[in-house]
Amino acid sequence: MRRCVVGTLFFSLTAFFSATMLYAENMPITTSEELADEKLSEDSVSDKDIAVTDTEAESDETGQYGMEAETPLVKDTLQPFNRAMFGFNDKAFHYFFKPIYTGYNSMIPVQARVSVRNFYTNIRMPVRFFNCLFQSNFKGAGTEMLRFVINSTVGVAGFLDPAKSKFHLEKQERDFGQTLGKYKMESGTYIVWPFIGPSNTRDTIGLVGDTVLDPLTWVSWFFLKPIEGVGNYTYESVNKLSIDTGDTYESVTKPAIDPYTALQDAYLQNRMKRIKE
Amino acid sequence: MNKKKVMSSIFYGVVLLIGMSSFLWADENPGTLVMETIDRGLAVLKDPSLKGAEKSQERKQRLWKEISPIFNFEEMSKRALGQHWKKRSPEEKKEFVDLFANILKDAYIGKTDTYSGEKIVFVKDKQDDKDYASVQTKIITNTGAVILVEYRMLSNAGKWQIYDVIIEGVSLVNNYRSQFNTILMKSSYKELVQKIKEKSGKETT
Repeated sequence: MRRCVVGTLFFSLTAFFSATMLYAENMPITTSEELADEKLSEDSVSDKDIAVTDTEAESDETGQYGMEAETPLVKDTLQPFNRAMFGFNDKAFHYFFKPIYTGYNSMIPVQARVSVRNFYTNIRMPVRFFNCLFQSNFKGAGTEMLRFVINSTVGVAGFLDPAKSKFHLEKQERDFGQTLGKYKMESGTYIVWPFIGPSNTRDTIGLVGDTVLDPLTWVSWFFLKPIEGVGNYTYESVNKLSIDTGDTYESVTKPAIDPYTALQDAYLQNRMKRIKE
Repeated sequence: MNKKKVMSSIFYGVVLLIGMSSFLWADENPGTLVMETIDRGLAVLKDPSLKGAEKSQERKQRLWKEISPIFNFEEMSKRALGQHWKKRSPEEKKEFVDLFANILKDAYIGKTDTYSGEKIVFVKDKQDDKDYASVQTKIITNTGAVILVEYRMLSNAGKWQIYDVIIEGVSLVNNYRSQFNTILMKSSYKELVQKIKEKSGKETT
């Protein structure tokens, strides 16, 4: 057993180092034009990209009023549907998920819940690994590979996360929507999906891509009844929410004057940052 | 080197350091200013004499007193209202600044009730211009999650103040601006103020 562990560790370490050495400099997919742009706007990323026109960002910087420039509207052609869906999701969160995870919280200690999340995270490694590759982030892909090997073995089938705590290998949050964004796909119109929440055309395609890359999809497709598959996903999201205690959602919507717009804007700004990353 | 020489060199070193620090203090560094304010805020939250649900109001008040001077609410309101700011009369502006400050207070001070030992770490600060700076920090939660928080600061006659907070890429001011824009597209400024008043009324009760 120990030999096996040492063997795999050795193998993955060599694989990792060869990968990082070969591509020490990650190949940028960005064009030179964007690089120049990035340099200019490095410090005002969020000011500039999100719903603020260039002119406004500039005049902001000079401290002038300079707010005449209309902020371009977010593309939201499905607004009536989206607002209805937002209402539905909000109700589902408050009257379905919240009571469940609150009960679940009081029964299961946080350490156990984190372990369950770690387990799911570990299984989902191919999603992050392949998206790192698609984004030509070879260092990230190597990190993910190494994390998977360490956590699956030393981390007891992924329930623990020694790769982070002992080796300081951070999880690489990469998804297909982000990949498409890096290749300059437009975000398209804003969509709110039932249960899934805010998304847009690009990220919906991304979600489909990620679902295909996700081993859990294949497991539930081949080995589970539909109801078991749904149960699995529900359990996973409840578990995830129970760690976050719904904080992210509530800290956006609770202080908001118009929660729908607040969530929409927060989603779009956050996605923008992830694509820039 | 004899003892006297060592002593005197230490003495001069100390004198030099004191002189330098006073020189540095004159032009306060945005990074240290933010971190000091955060530390003072955390000290209030950790204060054993202010613990417990029944002390919640008192604790919030103390916390607000510690951290509110670092925020430039007027600048925040101006940016959040955007193009609509200029159309407002001075009284309306003043009223709006107070309302907006109240909203932010309720929203973010209210959240500290659930504080459970999260750490706040300084990452880096950057001064773009003479008057603009950004300070990056991260919050490390008990489950090991990291939340990036960036403070955008503006210097007003040597006094650094925060005009925007960016949490995981989401700018607070931009977030409110899109909300205000959405509301103002369909309704009047009066209705917006009414909505904000309702909101802060609900929070305090």
